[in-house]
Amino acid sequence: MEISVEQRESRLGWGLIAPSIGVIGLLIIYPILYNVYLSFFDVKLTGANLFVGFANYERLLKDTAYYSSLFTTVLYLFGTVLGTTVVGLFVALLMNLHFPFRNVARTVILLPYFAPVISVVFGWQFIFDPVNGIYNHVVVEMLHLTATRHNLIGDPKTALLVVILFDIWKHFPISYLLIISKLQSINRDQYEAAAIDGCGPIGRFFHITLPEISFVLGTLVILRLMWNWNKFDEVFLLAPNVETLPIYTYYTAFAGIIDQGMAASISVINFLILSGLIIFYVKKVLKW
Amino acid sequence: MLGKRTLWQNCLLALALGVVLFFCLFPFIQILSTSLKHQFDWGNPSLIPIKLNLEAYQELLGLGEREEVPIPETVKRLLDNPLLTEEAKEKILSRYRSTKDVFPFPRFFLNTFLLSVTAAGLSLLLAVFGAYAFSRLRFKGRSVIRRSILFVYMVGGVLLMVPLYQMSVKVGLAGTVWGSLFSLVLIYIIQTLPVSLYMLGNYFRTIPFALEEAAATDGCSRIQALFLIILPLSVPMLITVFVYCFMIAWNEFLFAFVFLKQYHDFHTLPLALQSLFVSKNAIWDRIMAASMLTLSPVILCFVFIMRNLTRGLTEGGVKE
Repeated sequence: MEISVEQRESRLGWGLIAPSIGVIGLLIIYPILYNVYLSFFDVKLTGANLFVGFANYERLLKDTAYYSSLFTTVLYLFGTVLGTTVVGLFVALLMNLHFPFRNVARTVILLPYFAPVISVVFGWQFIFDPVNGIYNHVVVEMLHLTATRHNLIGDPKTALLVVILFDIWKHFPISYLLIISKLQSINRDQYEAAAIDGCGPIGRFFHITLPEISFVLGTLVILRLMWNWNKFDEVFLLAPNVETLPIYTYYTAFAGIIDQGMAASISVINFLILSGLIIFYVKKVLKW
Repeated sequence: MLGKRTLWQNCLLALALGVVLFFCLFPFIQILSTSLKHQFDWGNPSLIPIKLNLEAYQELLGLGEREEVPIPETVKRLLDNPLLTEEAKEKILSRYRSTKDVFPFPRFFLNTFLLSVTAAGLSLLLAVFGAYAFSRLRFKGRSVIRRSILFVYMVGGVLLMVPLYQMSVKVGLAGTVWGSLFSLVLIYIIQTLPVSLYMLGNYFRTIPFALEEAAATDGCSRIQALFLIILPLSVPMLITVFVYCFMIAWNEFLFAFVFLKQYHDFHTLPLALQSLFVSKNAIWDRIMAASMLTLSPVILCFVFIMRNLTRGLTEGGVKE
């Protein structure tokens, strides 16, 4: 039997993409569904799982630790989203000006983003170390702001601030990168025209720059929300006492009294919220 | 009217640049500085060590001489006891061997390197075929697949932590070292595959279709065209994608922590560094030196692929 060129192309296409789809299906799609299934069971590490219906969810929604973790996550998201976007915007505007060695500066500021979390996180620990750290030296010995040295990372309340600052430091470069690539595409004539009309630099920023980049800014906010919603390693490594939802899920699943059914039900709720964000992103930003 | 700055504005610009660069670089300088300091110098805020200390690096890289710990007389007498079995003797002796290799850096480095290369290689291989299919071939369901791939790549690792671990337990992989390593390679592949597909797909689309048509007229099949036309033209992007996947695997902590925690000899660098930090052997100079050594390959990669990577990232293939 003869097959047409289109059919042959179609077969080849499916053949080539099949391995990728297989791997993604088995290791992403199936686990998502399996997770929903697990959330209805008392998951035993050895032996058969016990069906418990919605009991995991009921226990979760009555647990005050869950709500406090949710609150921590909201603070964390607010701080990091605002911080990375504002700092990224500021640096992008700065790097868009002309000055000597601009290319070197543009490369150097990307370094925090590419450095492995593990290789920088202990440097940050050292900076805030109560005995040796430079932070306490500056605050206590040089500026005399407080009388005694504080263990900022040891106290969960202040540790959250350090974690947020760390996230801004680590991730503003990607915001910067996406903003500056948009800035460079704005036509210079627009600025010239506005300047001739008597617009000062601040007016030019609000009337030309901001409308042009508002779309990129919106995209960055929603992407950062999605990424940080799942952020585990940097929070856990810098300050394991800051219990954002991913950390809370980890403790429930793998530490102390292991309760993987409960952990599964936390993940299901997290996944639903994330899906909401993704759908919003896809509809509004990618405009399908 | 534009582009002319007064002296005052220039000063302000220089100040702002100084602050930004200081913010970005200070933690790195702090790490380098502490890795080169002696213990008495740690609390000193100056970044320049009073006396240079290279011991931490020597120790991690296994360059220093081994110190033999002297065995006390009483223990020596005990060892002379003929009733003691060889095994028991060995056990006692091992306690007095040098404790220098608590952090076998080269070993952890090699573990991480092999794991990352394997995962990045396999991910790239799958992505080459997949990306070619959905950027160059027409077939039913193509756009659905392209969109779903974008969708799944936003689902982060933490959400899959419990089900992937349970799956691995159920098929019996989590119980053994090699099973755990195998699970980890698979997990690293799926963490990088969607991005690889996306970045490569975008790149393939920029290669003029006329080239492939010309090849077809010369009697090339589509697969031959992929290997003879597309891939040679994509070498810079292939390297970029490979290095990007490599870096994701190199940096990964969560799944390594879940799967390899109990197998100390197979720890990856992130895992090893974390356990060094929480262990009793935590000494700042050693931790900072290990941080510097973990950082170095990434900085090399960074310099190497900088240009392509920023382009790939701004064109839509960002992943964390």
